Amino acid sequence: MKFLKIILAVALISSLAFTAVHKYYVSITKIEYVKEKKSVQIITRIFIDDFERLLRERYDDTIILASNQDETQIDRYIEKYVLSRFKISINGKLVSVQFIGKEYDEDVVQCYLEVENIEAIKSFEIENKILFDVFSDQKNIVRTHINGKHKSFILIPEKHKGMLNF
Amino acid sequence: MNNLKYYVLSALFITVGVFAQQDKEKQEPVQGHTNNNKFKQLYEEFSSPNMYRAASGAPGSAYYQQQADYKMDLELDDVNARLSGFETITYTNNSPDVLNYLWVQLDQNMRARDSKTPLIQGSGIAPAQQASSFADAYMTEGFDGGFKIEEVKDTNGNALPHMINRTMMRVEMPKPLASGDKFSFSIKWWYNINDHVNGRGRSGYEYFKEDDNRNYVIAQFYPRMAVYNDVEGWQNSQFWGRDEFALPFGDFDVNITVPADHILDGTGVLTNRKEVYSKEMMKRFEKAKKSFDEPVVIVTQAEAEAAEKTKSTKKKTWKLSAKNVRDFGFATSRRYILDMMAVDINGSTKMAVSMYPKEGNPLWEQWSTKAVASTLKSYSRMTFDYPYHKAISVHAKQQGMEYPMICWNYGRPDKDGNYSDRTKFGMMSVIIHEVGHNFFPMIVNSDERQWTWMDEGLNTFVQYVAEQDFGKWYPDALSEGQTAYPSRRGPAKNITRYMGGDQNFIAPIMTKGLNTYQFGNNAYGKPGTALNILRETVMGPELFDYAFREYSQRWMFKHPTPEDFFRTMEDASAFDLDWFWRGWFYTTDFVDIGVKDVKKFYVSKEPTQQVKDMAKSRGMKLSDLPPLVFMVEEGSEDYKAEMKTGKLLDNAPSLKEYVMDNFTAAERAKMKEPKFFYNVTFEKPGGLVMPIIVEYTYSDGTSKTETYPAQIWRLNDKEATKAIASDKEIVKITVDPNLETADVDTSNNSWPREVKEGEFDKFKNKTKN
Repeated sequence: MKFLKIILAVALISSLAFTAVHKYYVSITKIEYVKEKKSVQIITRIFIDDFERLLRERYDDTIILASNQDETQIDRYIEKYVLSRFKISINGKLVSVQFIGKEYDEDVVQCYLEVENIEAIKSFEIENKILFDVFSDQKNIVRTHINGKHKSFILIPEKHKGMLNF
Repeated sequence: MNNLKYYVLSALFITVGVFAQQDKEKQEPVQGHTNNNKFKQLYEEFSSPNMYRAASGAPGSAYYQQQADYKMDLELDDVNARLSGFETITYTNNSPDVLNYLWVQLDQNMRARDSKTPLIQGSGIAPAQQASSFADAYMTEGFDGGFKIEEVKDTNGNALPHMINRTMMRVEMPKPLASGDKFSFSIKWWYNINDHVNGRGRSGYEYFKEDDNRNYVIAQFYPRMAVYNDVEGWQNSQFWGRDEFALPFGDFDVNITVPADHILDGTGVLTNRKEVYSKEMMKRFEKAKKSFDEPVVIVTQAEAEAAEKTKSTKKKTWKLSAKNVRDFGFATSRRYILDMMAVDINGSTKMAVSMYPKEGNPLWEQWSTKAVASTLKSYSRMTFDYPYHKAISVHAKQQGMEYPMICWNYGRPDKDGNYSDRTKFGMMSVIIHEVGHNFFPMIVNSDERQWTWMDEGLNTFVQYVAEQDFGKWYPDALSEGQTAYPSRRGPAKNITRYMGGDQNFIAPIMTKGLNTYQFGNNAYGKPGTALNILRETVMGPELFDYAFREYSQRWMFKHPTPEDFFRTMEDASAFDLDWFWRGWFYTTDFVDIGVKDVKKFYVSKEPTQQVKDMAKSRGMKLSDLPPLVFMVEEGSEDYKAEMKTGKLLDNAPSLKEYVMDNFTAAERAKMKEPKFFYNVTFEKPGGLVMPIIVEYTYSDGTSKTETYPAQIWRLNDKEATKAIASDKEIVKITVDPNLETADVDTSNNSWPREVKEGEFDKFKNKTKN
């Protein structure tokens, strides 16, 4: 029932949107545990306009993303922000997440994060509060592929953590 | 006798594979099933053709549509941001039916205090909220939107009984409206105009604090007739805010009174231009009518900036008259700059027009009007000559919304006039898209409330074509290093992430707009891309374009349904497309086709062990065998290295004899002598059937591309095998080499299998280097 509610909410997010500007306020995060590499590989996709607005409000209102300029400083802001809003606990312990970098894919900013040296996963908890501070209707979809199992969940401001046990 | 044996044996070889498979299967009874073939005809999904809609996809012999003509007097109260109007609607019942009542759409009621729109939005307590939205949500009654209907009367001034059910109003007539009759009635109304920037909405005003002025982009502003037709009866499905409109055609005479210092334009011919334009503006306008290459500025930025400093207390009335339009919109402000350029559409001169505040510059003065002109040309080529006399692009923050002859578009540089490529191409694309909507749905008038994709999808497809034209015609619009316009939607590869995504959040295209997930991809991206793939890869532009034009022209100024489109595309091309519509439009299946297995064979003089065994099991001697050509798989027991090097005929004496007996020396000289034989098995993990496009690369570096039509999958939806004979060795086989089918997983697309790095590792390695 809860799940149904969430689906309905997602369906209606853009119900007030304009015909060509599509504000979904949805980010999609893919998490994959690659056991051979002892690595948890994370790719987060966030709409560029939403992210730009966030960075402007938070750090510097002259920021323009993807403008072919040097983005060293922007990358620092993104790293700082993303790591502060994105937390992972594995087997009950908070683990350190590395920010590898970001790239643009059309109208999306794609951030790459990694957790290294993970021998085995028995439980996995994720907290993703990205953009909740600017968009109250932001939804962060997280899809995991851990120990051969696929699972997706939607994180919203009122429920910003997801837990998996294996 | 010999011949008979030959046939028996051949038949044996052909069927041996099938038997071998059946033997392995357990002999359990298999239940029956209904037709779930991907090529099943669409008879169950389609409505039956009838007198109104023909099986060809054209309007039927009894096709009809209703007409609604409007006369309106409007007045804008700029001080209170309020619009009031008195309108007279003349409704003509062209249907064969008697109508007991009329339905009128009250779209503004979506913003009324008792609107149910907010009630269907999921919401929760956010950890932090802007003070203004907090106050709106929890502390005040909120914006007092919605129509205030003051009277509904017949032409004799008698009040008409009416009932308002949210965004729909039922009006009762003194007597039922017979087929062929007309009924006129009037409505007096007003409403508070919303702030479209902070409140979000397709029309409204943007407020500029610096000079205390508003730019108004006004639409869905008057009670509008609903559509009555042969498929829906009355289309009175409620307006919740997202799914758009269904409107009948009609003629409009509209007088709009605004402050005297406003610049206004809207749907229709401006019939009193001399009264509302200054002499200088008239002079510039005359010049613009002859300027086909560059826009002529009619109200300059300096003039607009001067105007925003004062507020006239006088009024002016702008008179607009439009024939055969489905709607009416206008924009007005004292802050507008105005420019125009002439466009030649097959010998007829149209005007491309832009209205924008200084905030739009420098982008808008440079590109808006040219984008409008370019769009009219591209769309006219793909559909029909643009029938209206002008098309206007109005700058409005965060907007992208279309009405007949006029649309609002975003694209605003920052305060210093700087802008990113995203802003620039976003602006150009939205202008091309919204101007393009003049064709779909303003003229090819589909029901947007029911089927968003019919206008958005078709329009997104033509938008792609128009964007590519624009890049060619205006190379200066491109940025450094670009050789073509960077279209966001259209190319097949851009839709794979969506189509290969989580099935929980994907709906078929054939879903009511309101109820779809990922609205932009569902109603714009996927159908637009599907049509682009249909054009470029499946049908080819020649067949597709003829059929697409036929659809556009059949349904120009009419109301088509999805079937009318699907049927016409087949009717005009002789291209069987049921499988394409079924897969792409009625399911959420995706494309994934790959090479599963490749086996190499050579010709052998000697029968293989398998042939020997088979002959033996049938009680035959080898000498009984007719002349046969034996095939040996590389690496099998019978394989010998010399098979690879020898000539075809030397390795197959029986073949050589046959050739010598049946062909002259001259004919033999022309014969091909393939040496390499391949058994290529293609797999299809994806649900969508598509043609298999294969590139064969040879050892000498050359390559050949072959396309196997989609029907290759008709009897086996999972696998297809092809025997390939070649005089050169094949070193590589690639499926969909140019990424034109929207294959969501290309890791299985090549043989030998290329181990491709995952997205994550690829990026990580890149950053390391």
